[in-house]
Amino acid sequence: MSPRSSLALPALAALLVPAAAAAVFFYAPLEQTMGVVQKIFYFHLALALSAFLSFGVACGAGILYLLRRERRWDVAGAASVEIGVVFTALVLITGSLWARPIWNTWWTWDPRLTTSLILWLIYASCLILRSAVEEEGKRATYGAVVAVAGFLDVPIVFLSARVFRSIHPTVIRSDAVGLEPAMIWTLLLCLAAFLVLWAALFRLRCSLLHQEARVRDLQFQLER
Amino acid sequence: MSTLRQIGFLVRKDLRIELRKKESLVSMAFFGVLVLVTLSIAVGGGRRVPPETGAGILWVAVLFSGVLGLGRVFARERENGCVAALLVSPVSPSSVFVAKGLVNLTLMILSQVVLVPVFFALFGQGLTGGITAVALPLVFLDVAFSSAGTLLSAVAAGTRRNEVLLPILLFPLLLPVVVLGVKASGAALAGAGAAAQGSVTLEPLVAFCAIYTVAGYLLFPFAAREV
Repeated sequence: MSPRSSLALPALAALLVPAAAAAVFFYAPLEQTMGVVQKIFYFHLALALSAFLSFGVACGAGILYLLRRERRWDVAGAASVEIGVVFTALVLITGSLWARPIWNTWWTWDPRLTTSLILWLIYASCLILRSAVEEEGKRATYGAVVAVAGFLDVPIVFLSARVFRSIHPTVIRSDAVGLEPAMIWTLLLCLAAFLVLWAALFRLRCSLLHQEARVRDLQFQLER
Repeated sequence: MSTLRQIGFLVRKDLRIELRKKESLVSMAFFGVLVLVTLSIAVGGGRRVPPETGAGILWVAVLFSGVLGLGRVFARERENGCVAALLVSPVSPSSVFVAKGLVNLTLMILSQVVLVPVFFALFGQGLTGGITAVALPLVFLDVAFSSAGTLLSAVAAGTRRNEVLLPILLFPLLLPVVVLGVKASGAALAGAGAAAQGSVTLEPLVAFCAIYTVAGYLLFPFAAREV
Protein backbone atom coordinates (compact mmCIF):
# COMPACT_ATOMS: atom_id res chain seq x y z
CA MET A 1 0.00 0.00 0.00
CA SER A 2 1.52 3.33 -1.05
CA PRO A 3 1.57 6.15 1.56
CA ARG A 4 -0.68 8.36 -0.53
CA SER A 5 -3.47 5.84 -0.99
CA SER A 6 -3.36 4.93 2.72
CA LEU A 7 -4.13 8.57 3.52
CA ALA A 8 -7.13 8.91 1.20
CA LEU A 9 -9.67 7.21 3.49
CA PRO A 10 -8.58 8.95 6.73
CA ALA A 11 -8.67 12.31 4.90
CA LEU A 12 -12.19 11.60 3.63
CA ALA A 13 -13.25 10.55 7.15
CA ALA A 14 -11.75 13.74 8.58
CA LEU A 15 -13.99 15.70 6.19
CA LEU A 16 -17.17 13.62 6.52
CA VAL A 17 -17.35 13.17 10.31
CA PRO A 18 -17.32 16.92 11.13
CA ALA A 19 -19.75 17.49 8.25
CA ALA A 20 -22.08 14.87 9.74
CA ALA A 21 -21.80 16.46 13.19
CA ALA A 22 -22.58 19.86 11.68
CA ALA A 23 -25.61 18.44 9.86
CA VAL A 24 -26.86 16.85 13.08
CA PHE A 25 -26.66 20.11 15.01
CA PHE A 26 -27.52 22.76 12.40
CA TYR A 27 -29.45 21.08 9.55
CA ALA A 28 -31.60 18.37 11.17
CA PRO A 29 -34.82 19.76 12.69
CA LEU A 30 -35.55 19.49 16.41
CA GLU A 31 -37.70 16.47 17.32
CA GLN A 32 -41.08 17.43 18.75
CA THR A 33 -41.31 15.45 22.00
CA MET A 34 -37.74 14.42 22.75
CA GLY A 35 -36.11 17.73 21.80
CA VAL A 36 -32.35 17.99 21.55
CA VAL A 37 -31.81 14.56 23.17
CA GLN A 38 -33.01 12.88 19.98
CA LYS A 39 -29.96 14.16 18.06
CA ILE A 40 -27.77 11.45 19.57
CA PHE A 41 -29.78 8.93 17.55
CA TYR A 42 -27.92 9.75 14.30
CA PHE A 43 -24.57 8.76 15.80
CA HIS A 44 -26.08 5.86 17.73
CA LEU A 45 -27.56 4.17 14.67
CA ALA A 46 -24.51 4.82 12.46
CA LEU A 47 -22.19 3.40 15.13
CA ALA A 48 -24.43 0.37 15.70
CA LEU A 49 -24.47 -0.52 12.00
CA SER A 50 -20.70 -0.13 11.68
CA ALA A 51 -20.20 -2.26 14.82
CA PHE A 52 -22.35 -5.07 13.43
CA LEU A 53 -20.44 -4.79 10.16
CA SER A 54 -17.14 -5.30 11.97
CA PHE A 55 -18.38 -8.40 13.82
CA GLY A 56 -19.58 -9.83 10.52
CA VAL A 57 -16.18 -9.08 8.96
CA ALA A 58 -14.45 -10.68 11.97
CA CYS A 59 -16.52 -13.86 11.52
CA GLY A 60 -15.82 -14.00 7.77
CA ALA A 61 -12.11 -13.35 8.28
CA GLY A 62 -12.06 -16.03 11.01
CA ILE A 63 -13.55 -18.66 8.69
CA LEU A 64 -11.13 -17.70 5.90
CA TYR A 65 -8.17 -17.87 8.28
CA LEU A 66 -9.11 -21.34 9.53
CA LEU A 67 -9.45 -22.57 5.94
CA ARG A 68 -6.46 -20.84 4.34
CA ARG A 69 -4.02 -20.02 7.19
CA GLU A 70 -2.99 -16.72 5.61
CA ARG A 71 -1.76 -13.87 7.78
CA ARG A 72 -3.90 -11.22 6.10
CA TRP A 73 -7.11 -12.87 7.31
CA ASP A 74 -5.83 -12.96 10.88
CA VAL A 75 -4.88 -9.29 10.62
CA ALA A 76 -8.30 -8.39 9.20
CA GLY A 77 -10.05 -10.32 11.97
CA ALA A 78 -7.98 -8.73 14.72
CA ALA A 79 -8.54 -5.22 13.34
CA SER A 80 -12.30 -5.63 12.96
CA VAL A 81 -12.74 -7.11 16.45
CA GLU A 82 -10.86 -4.15 17.95
CA ILE A 83 -12.93 -1.57 16.05
CA GLY A 84 -16.14 -3.49 16.76
CA VAL A 85 -15.52 -3.49 20.51
CA VAL A 86 -14.80 0.25 20.54
CA PHE A 87 -17.85 1.05 18.38
CA THR A 88 -20.17 -1.17 20.42
CA ALA A 89 -18.94 0.48 23.61
CA LEU A 90 -19.85 3.85 22.04
CA VAL A 91 -23.26 2.47 20.99
CA LEU A 92 -23.94 1.40 24.58
CA ILE A 93 -22.78 4.75 25.97
CA THR A 94 -24.78 6.89 23.50
CA GLY A 95 -27.82 4.67 24.08
CA SER A 96 -27.52 5.10 27.84
CA LEU A 97 -27.20 8.86 27.53
CA TRP A 98 -30.39 8.91 25.48
CA ALA A 99 -32.25 6.44 27.72
CA ARG A 100 -31.62 8.37 30.95
CA PRO A 101 -33.90 11.35 30.07
CA ILE A 102 -36.31 9.40 27.80
CA TRP A 103 -36.81 6.06 29.62
CA ASN A 104 -35.76 7.48 33.01
CA THR A 105 -33.14 4.75 33.42
CA TRP A 106 -29.57 4.20 32.26
CA TRP A 107 -30.15 0.56 31.47
CA THR A 108 -33.00 -1.85 30.84
CA TRP A 109 -33.04 -5.48 29.66
CA ASP A 110 -34.48 -4.78 26.27
CA PRO A 111 -33.79 -7.23 23.38
CA ARG A 112 -31.53 -4.90 21.46
CA LEU A 113 -29.69 -3.68 24.53
CA THR A 114 -29.15 -7.27 25.65
CA THR A 115 -27.89 -8.26 22.20
CA SER A 116 -25.42 -5.40 22.03
CA LEU A 117 -24.12 -5.97 25.55
CA ILE A 118 -23.62 -9.72 25.03
CA LEU A 119 -21.83 -9.11 21.72
CA TRP A 120 -19.62 -6.53 23.41
CA LEU A 121 -18.75 -9.00 26.19
CA ILE A 122 -17.99 -11.82 23.72
CA TYR A 123 -15.68 -9.75 21.55
CA ALA A 124 -14.02 -8.02 24.51
CA SER A 125 -13.18 -11.51 25.85
CA CYS A 126 -11.79 -12.30 22.39
CA LEU A 127 -9.43 -9.31 22.74
CA ILE A 128 -8.34 -10.52 26.20
CA LEU A 129 -7.65 -13.95 24.71
CA ARG A 130 -5.54 -12.42 21.93
CA SER A 131 -3.47 -10.50 24.45
CA ALA A 132 -2.85 -13.70 26.44
CA VAL A 133 -1.25 -15.72 23.62
CA GLU A 134 2.25 -14.97 22.34
CA GLU A 135 2.76 -17.31 19.37
CA GLU A 136 1.28 -15.87 16.19
CA GLY A 137 -0.24 -19.02 14.70
CA LYS A 138 -1.86 -20.04 17.95
CA ARG A 139 -3.24 -16.56 18.62
CA ALA A 140 -4.68 -16.37 15.12
CA THR A 141 -6.40 -19.76 15.39
CA TYR A 142 -7.85 -19.08 18.84
CA GLY A 143 -8.98 -15.60 17.86
CA ALA A 144 -10.67 -16.99 14.75
CA VAL A 145 -12.41 -19.80 16.67
CA VAL A 146 -13.83 -17.40 19.28
CA ALA A 147 -14.83 -14.80 16.64
CA VAL A 148 -16.76 -17.43 14.65
CA ALA A 149 -18.37 -19.00 17.73
CA GLY A 150 -19.30 -15.52 18.99
CA PHE A 151 -20.98 -14.55 15.74
CA LEU A 152 -22.99 -17.79 15.72
CA ASP A 153 -24.40 -16.53 19.00
CA VAL A 154 -26.13 -13.60 17.28
CA PRO A 155 -29.35 -15.34 16.10
CA ILE A 156 -29.72 -17.05 19.47
CA VAL A 157 -29.16 -13.82 21.33
CA PHE A 158 -31.96 -12.30 19.25
CA LEU A 159 -34.26 -15.24 20.02
CA SER A 160 -33.46 -15.25 23.72
CA ALA A 161 -33.82 -11.50 23.97
CA ARG A 162 -37.41 -11.83 22.77
CA VAL A 163 -38.40 -13.11 26.22
CA PHE A 164 -37.88 -9.52 27.38
CA ARG A 165 -40.50 -6.93 26.52
CA SER A 166 -39.15 -4.50 23.92
CA ILE A 167 -39.33 -0.76 24.49
CA HIS A 168 -36.58 0.16 22.03
CA PRO A 169 -37.93 2.48 19.33
CA THR A 170 -38.10 1.07 15.80
CA VAL A 171 -37.48 4.04 13.55
CA ILE A 172 -36.89 2.21 10.29
CA ARG A 173 -39.64 -0.33 9.61
CA SER A 174 -40.19 -2.40 6.50
CA ASP A 175 -43.19 -0.33 5.38
CA ALA A 176 -42.08 3.23 6.17
CA VAL A 177 -39.36 5.38 7.70
CA GLY A 178 -40.63 7.42 10.63
CA LEU A 179 -38.45 10.42 9.89
CA GLU A 180 -38.62 13.88 8.29
CA PRO A 181 -36.77 14.16 4.90
CA ALA A 182 -34.17 16.46 6.50
CA MET A 183 -33.65 13.88 9.22
CA ILE A 184 -33.22 11.10 6.66
CA TRP A 185 -30.54 13.09 4.83
CA THR A 186 -28.72 13.74 8.09
CA LEU A 187 -28.94 10.06 8.99
CA LEU A 188 -27.58 9.01 5.59
CA LEU A 189 -24.70 11.47 5.90
CA CYS A 190 -23.90 10.12 9.38
CA LEU A 191 -24.02 6.54 8.09
CA ALA A 192 -21.65 7.40 5.22
CA ALA A 193 -19.32 9.26 7.59
CA PHE A 194 -19.08 6.40 10.07
CA LEU A 195 -18.69 3.75 7.38
CA VAL A 196 -15.81 5.73 5.87
CA LEU A 197 -14.35 6.19 9.35
CA TRP A 198 -14.69 2.45 9.91
CA ALA A 199 -12.93 1.66 6.64
CA ALA A 200 -10.16 4.17 7.42
CA LEU A 201 -9.56 2.72 10.90
CA PHE A 202 -9.71 -0.79 9.49
CA ARG A 203 -7.07 -0.13 6.83
CA LEU A 204 -4.76 1.74 9.20
CA ARG A 205 -5.04 -0.97 11.84
CA CYS A 206 -4.52 -3.73 9.27
CA SER A 207 -1.36 -2.18 7.88
CA LEU A 208 -0.06 -1.53 11.42
CA LEU A 209 -0.66 -5.14 12.50
CA HIS A 210 0.91 -6.34 9.28
CA GLN A 211 4.03 -4.25 9.87
CA GLU A 212 4.28 -5.48 13.47
CA ALA A 213 4.22 -9.06 12.23
CA ARG A 214 6.85 -8.26 9.59
CA VAL A 215 9.12 -6.72 12.22
CA ARG A 216 8.77 -9.86 14.33
CA ASP A 217 9.64 -11.99 11.29
CA LEU A 218 12.78 -9.94 10.70
CA GLN A 219 13.82 -10.15 14.36
CA PHE A 220 13.33 -13.89 14.21
CA GLN A 221 15.54 -14.13 11.11
CA LEU A 222 18.26 -12.01 12.73
CA GLU A 223 18.35 -14.17 15.84
CA ARG A 224 18.98 -17.33 13.87
CA MET B 1 -13.13 -49.44 14.54
CA SER B 2 -16.31 -47.47 14.18
CA THR B 3 -16.53 -43.85 15.34
CA LEU B 4 -19.07 -44.72 18.03
CA ARG B 5 -16.79 -47.36 19.55
CA GLN B 6 -13.86 -44.92 19.51
CA ILE B 7 -15.96 -42.33 21.34
CA GLY B 8 -17.03 -45.03 23.80
CA PHE B 9 -13.40 -45.92 24.50
CA LEU B 10 -12.42 -42.30 25.10
CA VAL B 11 -15.39 -41.67 27.40
CA ARG B 12 -14.64 -44.84 29.40
CA LYS B 13 -10.97 -43.86 29.71
CA ASP B 14 -11.82 -40.42 31.13
CA LEU B 15 -14.51 -41.73 33.45
CA ARG B 16 -12.13 -44.42 34.75
CA ILE B 17 -9.49 -41.79 35.55
CA GLU B 18 -12.18 -39.75 37.26
CA LEU B 19 -13.36 -42.78 39.25
CA ARG B 20 -9.84 -43.51 40.49
CA LYS B 21 -8.68 -39.96 41.24
CA LYS B 22 -12.06 -38.34 42.00
CA GLU B 23 -10.46 -34.96 41.30
CA SER B 24 -13.29 -33.22 39.42
CA LEU B 25 -16.60 -34.56 40.68
CA VAL B 26 -16.04 -34.13 44.42
CA SER B 27 -14.73 -30.58 44.05
CA MET B 28 -17.55 -29.67 41.60
CA ALA B 29 -20.30 -30.83 43.94
CA PHE B 30 -18.59 -29.40 47.02
CA PHE B 31 -17.98 -26.00 45.42
CA GLY B 32 -21.57 -25.86 44.13
CA VAL B 33 -22.89 -26.56 47.64
CA LEU B 34 -20.56 -23.87 48.99
CA VAL B 35 -21.99 -21.34 46.53
CA LEU B 36 -25.55 -22.33 47.52
CA VAL B 37 -24.77 -21.98 51.24
CA THR B 38 -23.06 -18.64 50.68
CA LEU B 39 -26.00 -17.30 48.65
CA SER B 40 -28.47 -18.61 51.25
CA ILE B 41 -26.66 -16.63 53.94
CA ALA B 42 -26.32 -13.64 51.58
CA VAL B 43 -30.10 -13.38 51.01
CA GLY B 44 -30.70 -13.37 54.74
CA GLY B 45 -30.62 -16.99 55.88
CA GLY B 46 -33.78 -19.09 55.57
CA ARG B 47 -35.87 -16.28 54.13
CA ARG B 48 -38.36 -17.19 51.39
CA VAL B 49 -37.19 -16.25 47.89
CA PRO B 50 -39.46 -15.65 44.87
CA PRO B 51 -39.26 -18.42 42.20
CA GLU B 52 -37.27 -16.32 39.67
CA THR B 53 -34.66 -15.41 42.26
CA GLY B 54 -34.49 -19.04 43.39
CA ALA B 55 -33.91 -20.14 39.80
CA GLY B 56 -31.17 -17.53 39.46
CA ILE B 57 -29.44 -18.78 42.62
CA LEU B 58 -29.54 -22.39 41.39
CA TRP B 59 -28.09 -21.38 38.02
CA VAL B 60 -25.24 -19.40 39.53
CA ALA B 61 -24.25 -22.44 41.61
CA VAL B 62 -24.53 -24.77 38.60
CA LEU B 63 -22.47 -22.48 36.32
CA PHE B 64 -19.69 -21.93 38.85
CA SER B 65 -19.38 -25.60 39.76
CA GLY B 66 -19.50 -26.53 36.07
CA VAL B 67 -16.65 -24.25 35.07
CA LEU B 68 -14.55 -25.75 37.87
CA GLY B 69 -14.82 -29.24 36.37
CA LEU B 70 -14.46 -28.04 32.79
CA GLY B 71 -10.95 -26.68 33.29
CA ARG B 72 -9.71 -30.19 34.13
CA VAL B 73 -11.23 -31.85 31.06
CA PHE B 74 -8.54 -30.67 28.70
CA ALA B 75 -5.78 -29.60 31.08
CA ARG B 76 -5.41 -33.24 32.12
CA GLU B 77 -4.54 -34.27 28.56
CA ARG B 78 -2.00 -31.53 28.28
CA GLU B 79 0.10 -32.46 31.30
CA ASN B 80 1.84 -35.52 29.91
CA GLY B 81 1.61 -34.58 26.25
CA CYS B 82 -1.45 -36.78 25.83
CA VAL B 83 -2.99 -34.35 23.34
CA ALA B 84 -0.29 -35.19 20.79
CA ALA B 85 -0.92 -38.90 21.38
CA LEU B 86 -4.66 -38.38 20.93
CA LEU B 87 -4.17 -36.47 17.69
CA VAL B 88 -1.72 -39.04 16.31
CA SER B 89 -4.05 -41.92 17.17
CA PRO B 90 -6.52 -42.97 14.46
CA VAL B 91 -9.34 -41.06 16.16
CA SER B 92 -10.68 -37.96 14.44
CA PRO B 93 -10.44 -34.74 16.52
CA SER B 94 -14.21 -34.35 16.19
CA SER B 95 -14.68 -37.69 17.99
CA VAL B 96 -12.41 -36.39 20.75
CA PHE B 97 -14.73 -33.39 21.00
CA VAL B 98 -17.81 -35.60 21.32
CA ALA B 99 -16.11 -37.79 23.93
CA LYS B 100 -14.88 -34.86 26.02
CA GLY B 101 -18.29 -33.22 25.79
CA LEU B 102 -20.01 -36.42 26.96
CA VAL B 103 -17.58 -36.81 29.89
CA ASN B 104 -18.23 -33.23 30.94
CA LEU B 105 -21.99 -33.72 30.55
CA THR B 106 -21.84 -36.81 32.78
CA LEU B 107 -19.84 -35.00 35.45
CA MET B 108 -22.24 -32.03 35.43
CA ILE B 109 -25.35 -34.20 35.72
CA LEU B 110 -23.78 -36.24 38.54
CA SER B 111 -22.77 -33.11 40.46
CA GLN B 112 -26.29 -31.73 40.04
CA VAL B 113 -27.72 -34.88 41.58
CA VAL B 114 -26.14 -33.49 44.76
CA LEU B 115 -26.70 -29.78 44.08
CA VAL B 116 -30.42 -29.74 43.29
CA PRO B 117 -31.57 -31.51 46.51
CA VAL B 118 -29.32 -29.19 48.55
CA PHE B 119 -30.92 -26.24 46.73
CA PHE B 120 -34.40 -27.44 47.64
CA ALA B 121 -33.35 -28.05 51.25
CA LEU B 122 -32.06 -24.48 51.57
CA PHE B 123 -34.54 -22.55 49.43
CA GLY B 124 -37.46 -25.01 49.11
CA GLN B 125 -40.07 -23.14 51.16
CA GLY B 126 -42.51 -21.21 49.04
CA LEU B 127 -41.55 -22.98 45.78
CA THR B 128 -44.43 -25.00 44.35
CA GLY B 129 -42.47 -26.70 41.55
CA GLY B 130 -40.41 -29.75 42.51
CA ILE B 131 -37.13 -31.32 41.45
CA THR B 132 -38.59 -32.76 38.24
CA ALA B 133 -39.73 -29.29 37.13
CA VAL B 134 -36.21 -27.85 36.90
CA ALA B 135 -34.66 -31.03 35.46
CA LEU B 136 -35.44 -30.25 31.80
CA PRO B 137 -33.96 -26.71 31.65
CA LEU B 138 -30.95 -27.96 33.62
CA VAL B 139 -30.24 -30.78 31.17
CA PHE B 140 -30.40 -28.31 28.26
CA LEU B 141 -27.99 -26.04 30.10
CA ASP B 142 -25.65 -28.98 30.66
CA VAL B 143 -25.64 -29.87 26.96
CA ALA B 144 -24.99 -26.28 25.84
CA PHE B 145 -22.41 -25.78 28.60
CA SER B 146 -20.58 -28.99 27.73
CA SER B 147 -20.41 -28.36 23.98
CA ALA B 148 -19.43 -24.67 24.14
CA GLY B 149 -17.23 -25.39 27.16
CA THR B 150 -15.31 -28.27 25.58
CA LEU B 151 -14.48 -26.09 22.57
CA LEU B 152 -13.32 -23.20 24.73
CA SER B 153 -11.44 -25.42 27.21
CA ALA B 154 -9.28 -26.55 24.28
CA VAL B 155 -8.65 -22.88 23.47
CA ALA B 156 -7.92 -21.93 27.09
CA ALA B 157 -5.69 -24.99 27.66
CA GLY B 158 -3.34 -23.73 24.96
CA THR B 159 -2.72 -20.46 26.79
CA ARG B 160 -0.71 -19.89 29.93
CA ARG B 161 -3.67 -18.41 31.81
CA ASN B 162 -6.00 -21.40 31.53
CA GLU B 163 -7.93 -21.01 34.80
CA VAL B 164 -8.57 -17.29 34.35
CA LEU B 165 -9.38 -17.32 30.64
CA LEU B 166 -11.89 -20.17 30.59
CA PRO B 167 -14.70 -18.43 32.52
CA ILE B 168 -13.91 -15.11 30.78
CA LEU B 169 -14.46 -16.74 27.38
CA LEU B 170 -17.28 -19.07 28.35
CA PHE B 171 -19.67 -16.91 30.38
CA PRO B 172 -20.34 -14.28 27.67
CA LEU B 173 -21.14 -17.05 25.17
CA LEU B 174 -23.48 -18.71 27.67
CA LEU B 175 -25.36 -15.55 28.68
CA PRO B 176 -28.28 -16.24 26.31
CA VAL B 177 -28.67 -19.74 27.77
CA VAL B 178 -28.68 -18.24 31.24
CA VAL B 179 -31.39 -15.78 30.19
CA LEU B 180 -33.59 -18.53 28.76
CA GLY B 181 -32.86 -21.13 31.40
CA VAL B 182 -33.56 -18.86 34.34
CA LYS B 183 -36.87 -17.83 32.74
CA ALA B 184 -37.85 -21.46 32.10
CA SER B 185 -36.86 -22.80 35.51
CA GLY B 186 -38.27 -19.76 37.29
CA ALA B 187 -41.63 -20.49 35.69
CA ALA B 188 -41.25 -24.18 36.56
CA LEU B 189 -40.53 -23.38 40.19
CA ALA B 190 -43.56 -21.08 40.37
CA GLY B 191 -45.97 -23.96 39.63
CA ALA B 192 -47.64 -25.94 36.90
CA GLY B 193 -49.63 -23.06 35.33
CA ALA B 194 -46.60 -20.88 34.85
CA ALA B 195 -44.52 -23.86 33.70
CA ALA B 196 -46.60 -24.20 30.52
CA GLN B 197 -45.92 -20.53 29.80
CA GLY B 198 -42.22 -20.96 30.47
CA SER B 199 -41.94 -23.87 28.06
CA VAL B 200 -41.94 -21.31 25.19
CA THR B 201 -38.37 -20.50 26.16
CA LEU B 202 -37.34 -24.14 25.77
CA GLU B 203 -37.36 -23.97 21.95
CA PRO B 204 -34.56 -21.38 21.69
CA LEU B 205 -32.72 -23.37 24.37
CA VAL B 206 -32.79 -26.44 22.15
CA ALA B 207 -31.64 -24.31 19.19
CA PHE B 208 -28.74 -23.09 21.28
CA CYS B 209 -27.72 -26.65 22.19
CA ALA B 210 -27.83 -27.67 18.52
CA ILE B 211 -25.83 -24.66 17.26
CA TYR B 212 -23.11 -25.09 19.86
CA THR B 213 -22.79 -28.80 19.35
CA VAL B 214 -22.38 -28.34 15.59
CA ALA B 215 -20.06 -25.33 15.97
CA GLY B 216 -17.92 -27.19 18.50
CA TYR B 217 -17.81 -30.28 16.30
CA LEU B 218 -16.56 -28.20 13.35
CA LEU B 219 -14.24 -25.78 15.19
CA PHE B 220 -12.72 -28.11 17.80
CA PRO B 221 -10.19 -29.78 15.43
CA PHE B 222 -8.64 -26.35 14.66
CA ALA B 223 -8.31 -25.46 18.32
CA ALA B 224 -7.07 -28.90 19.43
CA ARG B 225 -4.22 -28.90 16.91
CA GLU B 226 -2.74 -25.79 18.52
CA VAL B 227 -2.73 -27.00 22.14
